[in-house]
Amino acid sequence: MSALQRSFAKAHLQNLPAPPDVFDEAEEDAVNEEHLPLSKNGSSSSASSTGTITASAEQNLFERPSVRRPTLQYEPLPWQNFFEQELFLKGDIIRSHAYFTPPATAGAPLFCFHHGAGASGLSFALLTSALKVVLPEAGFLSPDCRGHGLTTTTTSGLDLRLETLAADLAFVVNATSTKFAWPKLPPIVLLGHSLGGAVVTEVAERKLLANSVLGYGVLDVVEGSAIDALQSMEQYLSARPKSFASITSGIEWHVRSRTLKNTSSARVSVPPLLVQEGTDNAASFTWRTDLSATKPFWENWFTGLSSKFLSVPGAGKLLILAGTDRLDKELMIGQMQGKYQLQVFPEAGHFVHEDQPEKTAMIVADFFRRNDRSTLVLPPKVDDLIKQGKLKPANQAK
Amino acid sequence: MSDLDRAIAQLRACRPIPEPQVRELCYRARELLIEESNVVTVDAPVTICGDIHGQFHDLMELFRVAGDVPDTSYLFMGDFVDRGFYSLESFLLLLCLKVRYPDRVTLIRGNHESRQITTVYGFYDECVRKYGSANVWRYCCEVFDYLALGALVLGASTEVPENRIQQSNYDTQTTLPDIEGEIECEVLDANGEVREKILRRQFNLAPAQTSRIGPAPDRDPNEPSSPITSSIPPSQSSPSQPQPQTGSLFKPPPTTTGALLCVHGGLSPLISHLNAIRLLDRKQEVPHEGAMCDLLWSDPDDIEGWGLSPRGAGFLFGADIVRKFNHQNDLSMICRAHQLVMEGYKEMFEKQIVTVWSAPNYCYRCGNVAAVMEVGEDGSNGGSVRRVAGGEGRREMVGAEPGMGSRNVVGDGQTNGQQVNGGGGGGGASAEGSGAVVWNLATPGRRYRVFEAAPQGTRGMPAKKPVERQDVTVRKLSAFRADEYRSDVTCEMLGLSAAQRAVLKVLLLWLASATCIDSSRCGLYRAESDAALSAGTVEDADV
Repeated sequence: MSALQRSFAKAHLQNLPAPPDVFDEAEEDAVNEEHLPLSKNGSSSSASSTGTITASAEQNLFERPSVRRPTLQYEPLPWQNFFEQELFLKGDIIRSHAYFTPPATAGAPLFCFHHGAGASGLSFALLTSALKVVLPEAGFLSPDCRGHGLTTTTTSGLDLRLETLAADLAFVVNATSTKFAWPKLPPIVLLGHSLGGAVVTEVAERKLLANSVLGYGVLDVVEGSAIDALQSMEQYLSARPKSFASITSGIEWHVRSRTLKNTSSARVSVPPLLVQEGTDNAASFTWRTDLSATKPFWENWFTGLSSKFLSVPGAGKLLILAGTDRLDKELMIGQMQGKYQLQVFPEAGHFVHEDQPEKTAMIVADFFRRNDRSTLVLPPKVDDLIKQGKLKPANQAK
Repeated sequence: MSDLDRAIAQLRACRPIPEPQVRELCYRARELLIEESNVVTVDAPVTICGDIHGQFHDLMELFRVAGDVPDTSYLFMGDFVDRGFYSLESFLLLLCLKVRYPDRVTLIRGNHESRQITTVYGFYDECVRKYGSANVWRYCCEVFDYLALGALVLGASTEVPENRIQQSNYDTQTTLPDIEGEIECEVLDANGEVREKILRRQFNLAPAQTSRIGPAPDRDPNEPSSPITSSIPPSQSSPSQPQPQTGSLFKPPPTTTGALLCVHGGLSPLISHLNAIRLLDRKQEVPHEGAMCDLLWSDPDDIEGWGLSPRGAGFLFGADIVRKFNHQNDLSMICRAHQLVMEGYKEMFEKQIVTVWSAPNYCYRCGNVAAVMEVGEDGSNGGSVRRVAGGEGRREMVGAEPGMGSRNVVGDGQTNGQQVNGGGGGGGASAEGSGAVVWNLATPGRRYRVFEAAPQGTRGMPAKKPVERQDVTVRKLSAFRADEYRSDVTCEMLGLSAAQRAVLKVLLLWLASATCIDSSRCGLYRAESDAALSAGTVEDADV
């Protein structure tokens, strides 16, 4: 590169706006600042050129990170970074809130998510941006479930029966379709986490979205182990903090308690879980959804999930589990008979799609591609070839 | 007793062998496996087994029911590891047996014999737990890459194999009434009692053809058939072929059948001939797509043509695909594992393909039974087995009398081959005409031995000690006797006195019993290897 080119490029680069503040880089910076207190003009350049770090005058290499600086590490991220718009869809008694990115082209798929109990539609934020990289044309629809997020109902009682939730999800999809005047539903891939897994299975099984469903995926829920886990659920709920001083501390708690292992995801998915109480001076943030109030529905969510999951014909089935495979008998038999696709992410926690969004996106995109009917080209059938006259039957062949 | 026999005895007691031994074993196994073709040729009689999945005690039960190595020749169709609690012992035992009796044991690769799968489904964790490092897992994975992708069983007979395993209360004839006709298939339970006998279907053939025992039909004669198939009466099916050569010296043995292809998963749309499998570069991790992946992942299904597998890898294939493949490759049957079948075995598509599953009560909770499949040897040929199988280019109309037999004799085969080539233009013509297959080769006579899981302990886990210690001791002592004989010879050569010999014998006997005692304790490798070491030095001193 000549000196002229270099100066030319330099001049242009200066004119460019500063690079956008991408979330994970920001996080990385924050971490670096905390653990490596090197000055900006210090040895970073020399490190890259010579591999040695020389202490400069203004550096104190052995200084311990002093008082914790208020970092950006746990600052919330806005949903606009991940979805293009939010929808408020008015139904009979429900006003559903959903995060939405429309499909770019007519035939492009729509990934339709459903979060688990106590989470929100932004639980899938990172997965969405990861999927967007692999499938740039795809659309994403991630509603808040009834009683969660910004979705409101006019009725007083809490109705979280599986049938109701499944109908809600179908309503959101259909209302979106009406709102944007789609001639017909795009090919849909359903993906549900935990409770959401049961909901999408219910939607697929009852054919609430007719034949548009290419396949459905269930994230980290298995009937057998879920029902077992219900026993310890209340204990878990009583052990977690009742409120937080700020949104930031809520995010920090989620990360430090390893509920979420991915800080970036926690920064976007935790804020909608908390609701402010009190005035600005003495504000405290409590849980938006009272999970223990949902207890009457727990068994209803998961009973019969395995057989339902296996029974739906004509749609691809994907099960992603975290840790080890904890299949119950029915799913074990189904898996060894090759009835669905199983993926296990040993390093992930319960929120698989938040902990490992890229890996999940790869599996889900691959799952979509395999079940995509529009591009499916199978070898021609011999009988068809004979009918078309392209192949002669043996007795006529010489 | 050699190190290998010692390792086998130790593994039979479900105790892992030390890491250096595993390393040596894997090295020797690789040397052996690299010589094998992608499609190993195996001679009947052989016992074919499906998935094992680390269920060691059930593997022992399998050996009890179907006969021990080397008395019975075995073919294992992959998936030795994962999910069960004893993947390591199961795989190492099979590998030891393979190295010890290379022509009595055949191992082919399953989809679980892969680095990626084993890290998730248990084998990796088991290795780390039992050895404290991943080295053993790494050695095993290297062996996985060398495993063959399929096996071709040649020389199988259409008759049900002779039952060589005599159980103590073996009494077959009383359980079922005598039936007339040729038995094609026999199902036995774990005690050797006959549960079921299936007769071979007879076909109304022209008188000239009745001497041949019915080649299995490609289609059911009763089912509504397409105009193409019905337009070919068997007697005049091949106008280009010469009339049956009545004057030929060769009489086809009435029990000759085609080859059996054994593969873990199934067929691939990329593979229409066995030679295509032979051309694959198998020494690699199982890829995510392509022919090698399909062979290990695909499943047969009640569809027409090909479909994508819900497993996320491989394909589904229908009856027409199997029929065509078997016809083109002179196969009488495809034998595969990979899918759990509750009854242990499942024949599909008019016996053109069978699934064999050998892990009873899979994962200690599925409640299924397991099975192995025995095929017998076609002795009518004087023991000679034709090596040409798998579509070497010569094609005949299957079911046409002269074509069937001619492959068995070299001289006759040559002339016949020319005739066919002249008439049909070799393999190309047959591929073209394969849409109208009428006759495929007869399915082999076979026996299924169905067995249940080994007795379980109180907590639903397999019982701890499947092999009686007595048994091990007896083996060791008999091995000692062989040693004793050898030492006698050495002593004579060295010209030692009788007293010296006696001292040596006592020493040897003491060592042998010492190893027995040691091996009865758990996990004391060191004592045993010390004993082995000192035994070695004594022998050295002898010479």
